[in-house]
Amino acid sequence: MSTAALPDCLSFERDLAAIEFRCGQAENRWRHITTTWPHSVIAVSAAPRPNSPTEYGFRFECNGYPKVPITCQPWNLSTDAPLALNKWPTGRVIVPSVFRPGWKAGQCLYIPCDRISIQGHVNWPNEHPHRLWNPARGIICYLEQIHELLNQGDYTGALSS
Amino acid sequence: MAEFVLFVHTQGQPGIVEVKVSETVTESELFRALETTGVLGAGEVFVFIEEADRHIHPHEDRPVIGIHHGARIHLARCHHIRTMVHYQDRTIERNFSPGARIRSLKAWAVREFHLDHKDAVEHVLQISNTRERPVSDTPLHVLVPVGSCDISFDLVPEKRVEGSGEYCSPS
Repeated sequence: MSTAALPDCLSFERDLAAIEFRCGQAENRWRHITTTWPHSVIAVSAAPRPNSPTEYGFRFECNGYPKVPITCQPWNLSTDAPLALNKWPTGRVIVPSVFRPGWKAGQCLYIPCDRISIQGHVNWPNEHPHRLWNPARGIICYLEQIHELLNQGDYTGALSS
Repeated sequence: MAEFVLFVHTQGQPGIVEVKVSETVTESELFRALETTGVLGAGEVFVFIEEADRHIHPHEDRPVIGIHHGARIHLARCHHIRTMVHYQDRTIERNFSPGARIRSLKAWAVREFHLDHKDAVEHVLQISNTRERPVSDTPLHVLVPVGSCDISFDLVPEKRVEGSGEYCSPS
């Protein structure tokens, strides 16, 4: 971690060191790559699919963490740049409803726990209460949802596979 | 000697506690490590490794089967959890190990209700009379309050994330 003792940065650092995050790392559900505040890159494992990666990188923007929801976009770990839109994960029904490369030019996931995407979606708190941002769970609540999506039967692999 | 880090779940509680043991830990040594950490608490507690059906014993000196670095240990008040799942007008029931993951329950429910692949991916388990949908890695017993050994789920449709109203224009 590269920076000074900002409260949100300290809170994020604490959550990366917490047991819940380390348990996920021990089970290879996710792994921390790097943090340069306010951005953190974390890889999330994916179920094996033909011509598709075994993990996807995500860059989270965490200003105001954890009171303010975070936002994230798929990230290319090799080039340290946004993941090409044709490399995004996809699926049949649920997964492509969240991973929408055309939404906000690929800057965020279309999911209720995302700070950018939740804006204006007044129906989401009622329709998807289990997908909302939870400050008490912090980054874990977002990571669990991504991992769940990439490891369910609906996930079919990368778009261009 | 190498050390294993174990992640300990307690019935009815959402958090995790960490315990370190030797890689050759025996059942009795694991109990002592749990006692030292203060997680066993009062009353009878059964200790399970991962999703095993059989609990370990506090006075056995045999090596713990199924243990590994990062293994999940479950401290439960029940030998098993009586689990019901409701789908449409049907209900199924069976006993699960306290450490069984939600993923295992759903796989069983999908088989029993004869859901095809499409229906299976479009349904999730929701705790009955709540809106809580535990993620598939959740161990069963953490959802069961102490004093109970039963839990009930509904197999419900998972809605696509979609917008409504003038602000929303996903591609």
